[in-house]
Amino acid sequence: MSTTIPPRERPRQDARPDKPAARGRKGASGNRHSQRWLAWVFLAPTILGMGLFTLIPIVASVVLAFFRWDIISAPSFVGFNNFAEVVQDPTVRVSFLNTIVFVVVAVALQLGLALALAIMVQEKMPAWLRVFFRSAFFFPLILSAASVSIFMRYLFNEQFGVVNWLLSLVGIPAVPWLTTPGGSAAVVILVYVWQNFGFSFLLFIGGLASIPVETYEAASIDGATGWRKHLHVTLPLLSPTTLVASVMAIISALQVFDQPYVLTRGGPGDSTRTAVMVIFESAFQRLEFGQASAIGVLLTLIIMAITAAQFRLSKRFVFYQ
Amino acid sequence: MTGAINGQLRQITRRAALGALGAGIIGASVASWPRLSGTDIPGRGDNSLSIAILGTAADAAARQRAIDAFSSLHPDIKVKVQAIQAVDWKDFFTKILTMVAAGTPPDVVYVATEGAQLFAEKLAHPLDEYIRRDAADMREFFSDVHPSLVEAFMYKGSLYQLPMDWNAANMYYNTAAFAEAGLDRPADDWTHLDFRNNLAAMRKARPSDFTPYYWTNRLFGGVVPWLYANDTSFLKETRSTGGDWLWDGFYASDPSRSLRSGGYQWLEPNANDDRVFESFDYLRGLVKDGLGVRPEEGGGNSLVGLFASNRIGTTPAGGYWVQGLHEAGMAEDGFDVQFFPRWKTQRHQFGTAGYAMMKTAKDKDAAWEWIKFSSSRQAMELIFPNPATTPARRSMVNEKLYAGKGPAHWKVFYDTLDRFPTTGPIPAPPQQAAVETALMKNVSLAVSGDEQQLKQALASMQRDLEIALRRQP
Repeated sequence: MSTTIPPRERPRQDARPDKPAARGRKGASGNRHSQRWLAWVFLAPTILGMGLFTLIPIVASVVLAFFRWDIISAPSFVGFNNFAEVVQDPTVRVSFLNTIVFVVVAVALQLGLALALAIMVQEKMPAWLRVFFRSAFFFPLILSAASVSIFMRYLFNEQFGVVNWLLSLVGIPAVPWLTTPGGSAAVVILVYVWQNFGFSFLLFIGGLASIPVETYEAASIDGATGWRKHLHVTLPLLSPTTLVASVMAIISALQVFDQPYVLTRGGPGDSTRTAVMVIFESAFQRLEFGQASAIGVLLTLIIMAITAAQFRLSKRFVFYQ
Repeated sequence: MTGAINGQLRQITRRAALGALGAGIIGASVASWPRLSGTDIPGRGDNSLSIAILGTAADAAARQRAIDAFSSLHPDIKVKVQAIQAVDWKDFFTKILTMVAAGTPPDVVYVATEGAQLFAEKLAHPLDEYIRRDAADMREFFSDVHPSLVEAFMYKGSLYQLPMDWNAANMYYNTAAFAEAGLDRPADDWTHLDFRNNLAAMRKARPSDFTPYYWTNRLFGGVVPWLYANDTSFLKETRSTGGDWLWDGFYASDPSRSLRSGGYQWLEPNANDDRVFESFDYLRGLVKDGLGVRPEEGGGNSLVGLFASNRIGTTPAGGYWVQGLHEAGMAEDGFDVQFFPRWKTQRHQFGTAGYAMMKTAKDKDAAWEWIKFSSSRQAMELIFPNPATTPARRSMVNEKLYAGKGPAHWKVFYDTLDRFPTTGPIPAPPQQAAVETALMKNVSLAVSGDEQQLKQALASMQRDLEIALRRQP
């Protein structure tokens, strides 16, 4: 008598007792089914919102980039003409160049300042003061950029501004902050960085808190002190946070509008005109919504390319524990 | 077999029935729900005559007395004033355009010179037929309003608005600063060189914390008054034919009748004109010598406060400034006003505003009744109770309006039109917003560097204006 069971009669590994198995399978399937429905129900508002307010406008603006439309008359199809005109427009070219320069300088300052202050606050401050500084540095971010810019405009007025008055106390002559290309660019960057570094600061605070103390202790035993510890321990272990902070800072800086629009209206000349400003001007001042969409499409492609490059580079420079 | 069928039937019955019920409820709700549009916003969907003005809710409330007076005359017409807050006229027009795009345009819009041709070209309905129809009623209005103001609202031979208020760029001066510098009131025909000498005298008297000439970088009151005085502009100004029906009908005996046309046209840039260079060079000299400020783009918000605190010697502005200075605490004899300095001419720049009837107005007759009523003396006295602007009616620009507020020479305001009948409106073609941007963005550079930078800025302005004007309507 063979003890082996013929293959046909061998019970399947996943087989379950007859009746309860059927019930169980049915019950699990029903559960999965109802869970799927529940998931869709919970996701529906987000999907609907994203579809209505993000996806449809994105598709519509891409389509609009191939039309000439002034809001009032019916749109007319113009093929790639809008893209051709946009590329040839010197103001658009300068504004894109300004935006890139702005991103490089503003993001570097924003991240550098945020990181330095985060290390200082995290390491040198007592706990109660840490809480204060976290709030204080984050506070400008919750203010309206337009209101801040109006306020700053008064501060940096050449004749009657507080900044020049303070400078005059130490014998420095009035600086034409908002009426020279260099001065206005400096003020726009300064105001933007002041208002936005708080977010990067909070990210870095979180990142610093997640670095194990043992790592620093091990580095100390190995003889690392002061800035060497930060260079060889803090920065590598903070690199995932730095990646996130830089991606967000770059995307935000590429879309800068409020500060230059309120502070300088993009001037003098085109010195502080940014890509989003020319989108606004094309659409709402020149009533060329097709061209505005074409500029928007180009800006989106640039943002996507830069972000993709950042993630690609991150494979080499970001260290995950 | 039967069991299987029964089971399937049971399954279909339970799931499909519930599903069908749910789908049915949703479908019925969707089908029975009226399409959501901008008109569903409370207050928008009724048949009121909707009137859009630039301002705050307080400005809308200030018109209530005029609305009440209108309602007593026309109880069948319900009026709703919608105040739209905006930084400037350009911003206001943008918001009106978005209302048009949203399918909820107002019936009547208060439009300034800056947007007159944009509205005439694309959005507004001409008033010609109504003015002809009610010519007897309108005769009194036109007899009280200078034709220069009316001509600003002529476009290709048709009239699109009736001027309600206006302001010319006259020159305000601080009497204390003038006295301190040993200066008398300037003569009516003072020149741009006299003006510069006065600034130099004020600078000598007050070397610091004081600006002899403060000016803004805007379409009104910026560089344009100097261009007009030098008999030029940054756009080539031409006139349309037509409009004789209006001029012959209402202004036949006016001394300036021969100057009138079917409306202004600005079709080409003119920033490379020699006199444009000359005018900018003059301003550049003022900045270089510390007599005038380098103007910020769109500046001017702090101007009233600075002038009222005696930190500014002179600035170009219109009658609209009087109320602001009074509210800022400036005594009526603390300032005065004079014509803009003469150069090759003494042509002034002005801006005016009035109601435009939209093409899409639901009830155009009702819209016209509001426009006609608003132009009446009764309505204008209710709308303009103080010198926060200059009323278009000559008879309303009187001693009573300026009593206790100044300036001593308030007659300068309306005399500007009488003394200089070629005085013209802000150059504002239908592409005004783009044109204004092209001008503003190059002014600061033009007046704050060397001669080479000025030339480059004007070349850039010419190029930007070409782009702005490339699509003629």
